[in-house]
Amino acid sequence: MMKYLCIDTTTKVTALALAEDDQVVAEGFLHTNLNHSERLIPMLKQLVDAAAWGLNDLDMIGVVRGPGSFTGIRIGIATAQGLALVLKLPVLGVLSLDALAWAGYGHNGDIVPILDARKNEWYTARYSWNMEQGKAICLDRPCAAKPGEWLERLARLQKPIWFSGDAVAKAREMICSILGNRANFLPEFESLPRGAYVARVVWEKWLTESEGEVVKPYYIRLSEAEVNWRKRQQGRRNEINGG
Amino acid sequence: MSTETENKICILGIETSCDDTSAAVLLNGTALLSHIITSQTATHQKYGGVVPEIASREHSLHWQAVVQQALEKAKLEFSDLSAVAVTYGPGLVGSLLVGVSAAKALAYALDIPLLGINHLEGHIYANFLHNPDLEFPLLALLVSGGHTHLILFRGHGDYQVLGKTRDDAAGEALDKIARVLGLGYPGGPQIQSKAREGDAKAFDFPRAMLEPGSLDFSFSGVKSSVLNTLNSARMKGQELNAADIAASFQEAIVDVLVRKTKIALNQTRVKTLVLAGGVAANELLRETLARELVYQQVRLVFPPPLFCTDNGAMIATAGYYRYLEGDFAPWTLNAVPGLGLI
Ligand SMILES: [Zn+2]
Repeated sequence: MMKYLCIDTTTKVTALALAEDDQVVAEGFLHTNLNHSERLIPMLKQLVDAAAWGLNDLDMIGVVRGPGSFTGIRIGIATAQGLALVLKLPVLGVLSLDALAWAGYGHNGDIVPILDARKNEWYTARYSWNMEQGKAICLDRPCAAKPGEWLERLARLQKPIWFSGDAVAKAREMICSILGNRANFLPEFESLPRGAYVARVVWEKWLTESEGEVVKPYYIRLSEAEVNWRKRQQGRRNEINGG
Repeated sequence: MSTETENKICILGIETSCDDTSAAVLLNGTALLSHIITSQTATHQKYGGVVPEIASREHSLHWQAVVQQALEKAKLEFSDLSAVAVTYGPGLVGSLLVGVSAAKALAYALDIPLLGINHLEGHIYANFLHNPDLEFPLLALLVSGGHTHLILFRGHGDYQVLGKTRDDAAGEALDKIARVLGLGYPGGPQIQSKAREGDAKAFDFPRAMLEPGSLDFSFSGVKSSVLNTLNSARMKGQELNAADIAASFQEAIVDVLVRKTKIALNQTRVKTLVLAGGVAANELLRETLARELVYQQVRLVFPPPLFCTDNGAMIATAGYYRYLEGDFAPWTLNAVPGLGLI
């Protein structure tokens, strides 16, 4: 039996899980106004103690590497890497949106997690559940999308859509206005990032690549400075080509 | 645990407050077993300064290798460590959080104390690395791109800020003028090397001393004066000698730093002066102070240039003294970007 820890700090929710193979043993969920930095280790400590585990019992660490808050992504990964370095454990990185596909487990229709990406965008992707294989099939790869355009696209699919993620609460009205009764919602506590969801995708990944990896942040977006720099370079190139 | 490190205090210091990812392993406060610094200067150069988000991304990619190398070079296992010291402010919040998160995870997994270090104190403690015999009280002149402080230390962690800049930090002014002269970044070292070819008496830039007895600084006036000189020359179509400007400007800055420091030494009657921060590497500042203090029987101490800029060794050194005091940080330690000296 593999014992592992899962960490997700890519949204405002601090989500932790201790799991053994495909079973969740303990779960931590904190959706308050404190920073991840302040609550992550204290919460992890409580969870490990409450489960009567020791850190030395762990065989692996899974961490969500994005997309989501840039700072949150880095806090999660640095924490996972720091623990793994000392405990000499393999680390696996998974995607926040893949984990949130589990929120729509078994539902008929497509699952669309939406995360607040600021700048009037969402991090999103589209999945559908294949119950024979027991997993979510990714139909649209993770991306940053303009809410209006993304919803129009979903509307054209003419399918029931199940929404999950931290952007749902604020966008509910907008979603309904575009998708009408094809829009489906989950209770808030099922819709937000959860350690249990992460544990599922981590376990799935471990079954196919039981090696561990150097986990890199998955930001989707470049930093603003890089975007502006590339624009300037492009402008210069156009100038040269045009004149 | 290897027998060699038994009963010995071994601190891992981590620094990620700005654009350098650094880690050091320090044994008993003075034996620097390893010191790794990876600089991001080249990455930020095309943007003309440090870009916070890019700095954070770089720290995230590199901290692990830097810490591993520090342990390997020290020929130690993680289990040999007594505590992990980390900069928690001031600095760029995203950058600080990478180091703080990493340090917390390491210390928690090792079940050893976490030490939260004020970056500014770290700079000053760089002096204790090579001079553990430093005696209190001592006066510290902290000069960097973000800070210009005169601080009186009565003991470890027991200090009082006597004066600080009211506008620009000395290093900030040096950076600005270096940029205007087209010398590049960081400005301090560039101005210094350009100044070697110039005449420091060519221009008479102002020295702001403020009210009599004040230990505060102001560098915006001298900065504006240099900018005005350059502008009016340009209007007249005159070409000024950049080396003369650099030399005269550097001398004006150093002159104020030295004069204020001497006033502080006279006011406090302290007999030890330590320099800290990036500008403490400036040769003119060191030489002028050394020359001026000879007759006052003041001991002048400054770190080697490598330990003046941001580094993990100074954080490990500050951590060592924190460790001796039993002043450990809680697991709730957060980054404090605006952390000051109290
Ligand atoms: Zn510094």
